[in-house]
Amino acid sequence: MDEKLQEDWLDARLRDEAPYLDDAGFTSRVVQKLPARQVRRSSRVFILLGITLAACIAAFWFAGGTSFAIDTYTNVAMLPVMWMWIFAAAAAFLVMAGGLAAALSRSRGRSR
Amino acid sequence: MALTDADLVARVLVDDDHHAFAELVRNHQSSVRGLLRNLVRTDVTLADDLAQETFLKAYKNLRSFRGEARFSTWLYRIAYNCFREEARKRKELVGIDEAQLEAEHDPQTVDPALRHDLARALELLPLHERSAIVLCCQNGLSHDEASRVLEIPLGTVKTNVLRGREKLKKMLAAWGSN
Repeated sequence: MDEKLQEDWLDARLRDEAPYLDDAGFTSRVVQKLPARQVRRSSRVFILLGITLAACIAAFWFAGGTSFAIDTYTNVAMLPVMWMWIFAAAAAFLVMAGGLAAALSRSRGRSR
Repeated sequence: MALTDADLVARVLVDDDHHAFAELVRNHQSSVRGLLRNLVRTDVTLADDLAQETFLKAYKNLRSFRGEARFSTWLYRIAYNCFREEARKRKELVGIDEAQLEAEHDPQTVDPALRHDLARALELLPLHERSAIVLCCQNGLSHDEASRVLEIPLGTVKTNVLRGREKLKKMLAAWGSN
């Protein structure tokens, strides 16, 4: 019985020896050292779309508006078929490269 | 209603919510700092620096927390690794080792004026027994959880706790603290 009482006493003392430590600014010091917040993925998509749209409008405006669109359409229509194929292949290659880069950055983000 | 650790972790992971992480730090700072204070023995500043490092590492590696163990157990493991890393660095710099420290803190030679003190008795235990006692008896971890934190077999944890307790009882009885 003495043994048991001694065990209980020791357990109680050990628990009491671990008092609650007051925060005393510890949490704010840790939070200050955290890396800056990243922009949320959904916000990133909106920002990217917004910038693209704004760039398109600016390019359209500065290139002379509708006349630019008509001239471009005419020029493209007059291109040899070979060039059309080359442009189509280049566009497809760019889209694929973009998709691949996005997939790679996503998988890297997950593995971190 | 208070959010659980799992809710707060999810908020940090999804929204990179610093307020949620601050809440996690607030909830666990006392136990992590207490554990580190017991491990480093007397240097409170070093213990707090290590605790800070622990939380920053936890933030960076939060995605690796799978929720299989309690969040506190995962934190203690990081804290213990930080402590081991620091101890290794200090050992290399100063050239001291745990055995030497233990010899310096021999219960037979300790100042009698300091004896009525469980904290002092804990300091006199070898590191492996002290860590096991602090985790299991003070921080309330099961032997299984402590074995995961300390990365040692379950049987070794049980032995260390048992031996540590025996030594504490002997020291305290010899010092007449009860």
